[in-house]
Amino acid sequence: MFSNTLFLLSAVLTVAGALMVVYTKNLMHACIYLLASFFGIAGLYACLGADFLAATQLVVYAGGVIILMLFAIMLTGGTGNKVNRYGLEKIPAMGNKKTYFTAGFTAIVSALILVKITMSAMSGNPAVANLTNEPTVERLGTILATDHILAFEISSVLLLGALVGAAVISRPRKEIHD
Amino acid sequence: MINLWAYLGISFILFICGIMVMIARKNIIALLLGVELILNAAALNFAAYTKFSNGNLDGHIMSLFIIIIAAAESAVGLGIVIRFFQLRESIHIDDASTLQN
Repeated sequence: MFSNTLFLLSAVLTVAGALMVVYTKNLMHACIYLLASFFGIAGLYACLGADFLAATQLVVYAGGVIILMLFAIMLTGGTGNKVNRYGLEKIPAMGNKKTYFTAGFTAIVSALILVKITMSAMSGNPAVANLTNEPTVERLGTILATDHILAFEISSVLLLGALVGAAVISRPRKEIHD
Repeated sequence: MINLWAYLGISFILFICGIMVMIARKNIIALLLGVELILNAAALNFAAYTKFSNGNLDGHIMSLFIIIIAAAESAVGLGIVIRFFQLRESIHIDDASTLQN
C-alpha cells in the first residue's frame, strides 16, 4: 500500500516535471521542473529497492547538477540581440512553433520506431520482482571494490579530468589584441 | 500491480521529453537539460531491469556510472557554455557555427 502510493506519487512527479520542461518558456522554470523530475526519479529508485541509487540521485543531481545549471543560467543571462552577425533574424532561444513542430514530429517517429523494435522482444509476460527490499549498500560496495574496480578507478580519473578541464575552459583569460 | 511495464513507460516518456527538448530549444543550457533527461531515462531502465530481471546488482553499477558520467559531462558542458558566452555574448546554438573565433 505504501509502496504503491510512493510509486504513484513519484511517477506523477517525474512525468509532470519532464512534460513541463518541454512546455515552459522560461529557462529558470525549466530547471526547477527538472529538479522536481529528479526528485521523482529518486522516489522511483526507492520503489525499486535501490536505496543507494536514490541517495546518489538526490546528492549528485538535485544537489550538484541543478545548482551548477542555475549558476550557469544566472552567469549567462541577459542576451538581447535578435539578429545574428549576418543580419538575419534568429529563432527565439526557447523555440517557436516551427521548432516545436519538428520536435513533435521527431518524437512521434522515434516513439513509433522504439515501440516497433521493442514490441517483439517484450511480447511475453513481464517478469515478477525477485529482489526483496534488503539494503543494497553493502553488496554494492563489495561489487564495486572487487569486480568493477577498474571502472571505478577510471571514473575517478575521468572526474578529475572533468574538474580540471572545466576550470581551464571557463577561466577568464586575457584577450590578445594585436 | 506495478510491474516492469510501468517503469519502462515512465522511462520512455522521459526519453521522448528529452528528445523534444533537445530539438525544440535553441538555448545551449536547455539542450543540456534534455541530455540530463535522456541519461536519467537510461539509468532508470537499468535499475528497473535489475529489479525485474535478475537479482544481481550490475544494473545498479551501470546506473551509478551513468550518474557519474552525467555529472562530469554537465560540469564540462557548462564550462564551455560560460566560455562561449564570454566570447560571443550569446548562448544561442546558431551562434556556435564556427570552430575558430
